[in-house]
Formats: sequence, C-alpha cells, structure tokens
Amino acid sequence: MDRNKLIKWIKTPAKMGNKYSLHAVYFCTGCGIIEIPPTITTRWDAERFGVTPAATPRQANLFLITGYVSLKTLKSIIRTYEQMPEPKYTVGFGSCPINGGMYWDSYNTIKHLDKYIPVDGWIAGCMPRPEAIFIAVTHLWKMIDNDMADGYKKYRNNYDQYRANQEKVLGSLDWPPLFK
Amino acid sequence: MHISEIILSPLLALIVGVFFLGLSRKIMARIHWRYGPPITQPVIDIIRMFSQKSVSHGNLFNFGIIFSIAGSIAVVLFIPFGRIHPLSNSGGLLVILYIMLLAPLGIALSSGEAANPNSSIGISRKLLLTLGYEFSLLLILLALMTHYRTISITEIVALQQKGSWSLFRLPLVLPGIAYILILPAILGVRPFEISKAPQEISSGPMVEYGGTYLALAKIEHAFAIVIGISLFVNLFLGGANNLAFFFLKVLLVFILGIFINAVFPRLRTEQAIKYLFGIPAFLAFLGLVITVLI
Amino acid sequence: MNDLKQKIEMAFDSIDINIPEDNRMIINISKDGVISILSYLKNAGYEHLALISCVDLINENEFELVYIVSAYMKRDDEFHDREKQNIIIKTRISRKKTRFMTVINIFENAEPYEREIYELFGINFQGHPRLKPLFLEIEYEMPPFRKNFDTRKFVDDMFGNIPEIEGH
Repeated sequence: MDRNKLIKWIKTPAKMGNKYSLHAVYFCTGCGIIEIPPTITTRWDAERFGVTPAATPRQANLFLITGYVSLKTLKSIIRTYEQMPEPKYTVGFGSCPINGGMYWDSYNTIKHLDKYIPVDGWIAGCMPRPEAIFIAVTHLWKMIDNDMADGYKKYRNNYDQYRANQEKVLGSLDWPPLFK
Repeated sequence: MHISEIILSPLLALIVGVFFLGLSRKIMARIHWRYGPPITQPVIDIIRMFSQKSVSHGNLFNFGIIFSIAGSIAVVLFIPFGRIHPLSNSGGLLVILYIMLLAPLGIALSSGEAANPNSSIGISRKLLLTLGYEFSLLLILLALMTHYRTISITEIVALQQKGSWSLFRLPLVLPGIAYILILPAILGVRPFEISKAPQEISSGPMVEYGGTYLALAKIEHAFAIVIGISLFVNLFLGGANNLAFFFLKVLLVFILGIFINAVFPRLRTEQAIKYLFGIPAFLAFLGLVITVLI
Repeated sequence: MNDLKQKIEMAFDSIDINIPEDNRMIINISKDGVISILSYLKNAGYEHLALISCVDLINENEFELVYIVSAYMKRDDEFHDREKQNIIIKTRISRKKTRFMTVINIFENAEPYEREIYELFGINFQGHPRLKPLFLEIEYEMPPFRKNFDTRKFVDDMFGNIPEIEGH
C-alpha cells in the first residue's frame, strides 16, 4: 500500500471502504446472469476486487441489473433498491436496461431504466464480457473517489419524479413512499 | 489480574478473529484456485458497513445484537490466552458453559424482532444446532472436570503443562475425539452451516441486518471463532505459556477447520442433529464413564 | 404410424390426417372433436401433453389451437416406436366467439398453458379452475399477442411520454 492510498484511508475511511467492499445483488433478469457465475468463480474471480455476492439486499451496496427489465421485474427491482442501505450504487449491464435493446418495441419491457431508479453506470454490449464488469468496477471506484456516484442522493432529492414515473407504468404501488 | 488485561484480552480476540476471517477467505480462494481478496478484506467490509446507513427494526433488534457482543466479550474474559487470563481464576468452566449461550441468544432475540421468515428459520436451526452439540460438550467437560478434580481452566492448563496434553491422556482420549468431531458445529462451518445457509435461507438470522448491525454481527462471528477454538486448545491441546505459541495452536486448528469447510457440503438439519447425537455423544459418554471408573 | 392413422380414421369421421415426415402426424379436426381425440390418444399410450399453442390467423378470422402430444419412454433398454412420435392436433375456433373447453380433465398439465393463452390471446377456457393472469403485471385493453394489437402505438403511449428525471 503506497502513501497516497494510506492518507486517503485516514482522511476518508467511509469512501475507501465503499470502494473496496462492493457486495453485489445480482438481479438475475435476462441473459446477463449467464455471465455472472464465471465472473464470481474461479475463471475471473471477482473477489480480488472486493466484489462478492450478497445474500440479501440489506447487506449489499452494489446493484447489478443484468438484462432486460420487464414490468414485473421492475417492481421487484424498485423494492430491492429501496431496501438497500445507503450509500448504494447501481450498474446496468448490457444494452437492454440502457435503451431497451432488442426489446425496443415490446409491450411489456421498459426502455430506459434510469427513468425509474437512478443508475450510476452502464456497461454497454450484448452481452458484455466478464472483463467489462471489472472495467465497470474500476470506473465505479473513480466515480466514488470524485463523488460522482451519487445516484442514491439523486433518488432522495427527486423521489417525487421517480415515484410518479413508477406509478405511471405500474399503476398503484402497494407499498408506501420511501421518503416523505 | 490487571485492568489492562481486561481491555487487552477482548481486543486481542477481536484482532485475531478478524484476521482469521480474512485468512479463511484467502485460503478458501486458494483451494478454489483463485487469487482471492486481500487479507484485510474483512476490515474493509466492517469499515464499509459502519459507514452505511442502517435500518432498525425496533428496540429489541438494537439491544439483542449488543447483548450478543457483550456475551461474547464476557466469555473471552473467562478464557486464558497464554498468560493473559483476566477472570479465568474465578468461575471457570461452569461459568463459561452458562454464558456461552448468551451470544446465540442475543442474535436470536435481535433477528426475531425483524419478523422475516428466513431469520425465524435461521434462529430455530441455530438453537437446534446449539442443543445438538451442547449435550456432547457438557459430557466432555464433565469428564475433564472429573479427571482433573477442578473447574478452573488455568489449573487444567497448568496440569497439562507439567504432564502431557489431555488429548493424549488415557481416559480423556475419547472425549478429545468427540470434541474434535463437534468442533465444526461449534464454529458453525460448512457441514454444519445450517443456520446461515446463504443459498437456502439467505444467511438466516442475519437476513435483515444491514450497515452497523451487520458489522456488529460480523464482529460477533469473529469472537465466536476465537472462543470456540481457544476453549479447545486450552482444554485439550495443553494451552500455552506465552501468547504467540497459544495463537499458533489456535491458527493450526482453525486452518484444519477451513479445510473441512472447503471440502464438505452442507448437511440438512435433521442429518446434523442425527450426527451430533450419534458418534460424538456416544464417545463423550463412554469417555465420561471410563474417567469416572478410573 | 400408418396403423395409428387407420385406427383413428376408423374411430372418427370428418377428420383430416397427414404424415408430413417420419414420426410426425398432423391431425386437423373440428373443435367439437378435440376432447375425444385427446382422450383416445391418451388411451393409446400418448400420455404426455408437450405444449398447447395458439396462432392468430387474422385474415381467416380464426384462432388455431395446437396441441402436441407424445409418449413417455417406458423402458431403458429398448425403444417402442411410439416413443419417437409426435402428434400434432390442430383445431380452429372463431375470432368472434373466443370460447373453448379446457382439457385439464384429460391432461392436468394443460393448466399453465391455458392460462398463458387466456392471458396473451384472450381465449376463455370453459371449466378452467383459476383462469387469471400468469405473466403480465398490468392489464391491457386487448390481449397483447393478437395480431390487431398495435404494439408500436401502445409502446409510444405507455413508455413514450415518461419524462426524464430533472435535477440531481
């Protein structure tokens, strides 16, 4: 560990802790989940970056959405995201959460995920290779360093807009608002 | 007994326990042919968890986890680490038997408040497992106390330092083997990982813990590892005269535990209970009978 | 295969059977005969309902329901000829009167298939114990797999005018 890193650890331990300990909820939608098992096991070993799968959303701080988002999964995604403790980071994986991808004209698949929950980073591709996940993780480190990964603050500040968008596609949601 | 020892002993247990957590992840990774996380990863995790906002589920939820850590620290104070033995002259094994139950009880109280079905399943499994190994443990400790005619751990360690380790003394061989057989259950590692079971019931009692609570639960887990192993080292592997040698012994037993953890799959609850009330209980009972007769 | 064809032609009248390739038989039958032919085939040893599907033939103003049945493997060491065969039963119902009878009494695993077709094509299976939505989260004005469901217009209306989030 070099000196700069040590100084950073002493100055901002919370930020550094969040950087190097990303416990991920892998939201298994669509084809992206095929890329996850090699990523977390022997072949690519995500644990050396501090990325491990978390058993429940309460223990996690990284939300990886791996594939297209249908309306039914959108509901679960919102619930899962709201259960995670702050600070939390979201990464959309593959082109489907970015703009709908090949599901552009689908009656049941939302197009832009970032209109319903905040997304800190995207991994483009159909499908991205597991290496792309690590590039995303290192980018996320830079963003956390520069305070750019502030999706959870955005969610808090603009909760009315997010909730309105969610209710527009899902009808009435059967849980109370997270923030008043 | 010094006041410094009372502070030093839990601190030492905490450092060693957290180091063990990191070491276990590294060794497990190497067994999987992975590079693995840095050995400081649990420290980073705990710092991260403390910095996160956490959701409380009521007063008992907050109280239970603190109660559990307090129970762990109390047990640590009664266990001698080499020459450091703050309270182990008083009380001895009987006290340890009682207050060792506080830690799982605290976790049970706390996560029961969360009202998550997974945590209820986890608690019931944890208490069932405790019931399973506690019977054999009681018989083993009775055999020990009968053989040495004392309940003080420091005296048992001193007697072993003069002669041979209890594991190699004739009447205590069988209880020693029984203790080795139930040690994975006491530590809660893989063949007996039934209360956590992340793939099955989403880490059981810890399912609703986030942020600070999860960090405290991790710390409690670290304490539990050190307590479980150092009791075994003190009672059967002869303890040690100095700190370094003591923790070397603890480390060796722990690495053995990791190997078992890496190799075995998880048992079902009824299989685990059947196992625990089978051979270990029988060996412990036989050992007690032999000890009493001799 | 030809034996079976002859047997079926003996048992049922007004039936159209052709065998396009080996081990595949297509039976076209009017909608009243579906139940009886399915139970006949089940008694003949074809005990596995693989699939129920639906095709929307909008130009002919009809739905085509497709049932595929096959036989389970009975013994490990030898094949029965029957075990390689797929039998496809096709029937037409009117697009106006979207009602049909359930086949749960014969093949119990028809339940989810019929629910799916009810949800996506709007065909009402009479006698089905719980005919309620299976996959879809929201209610649509028209079942979305019908050919006259305008997906583009629906998508534009539904997702097109959701605003971006302003501010940060």
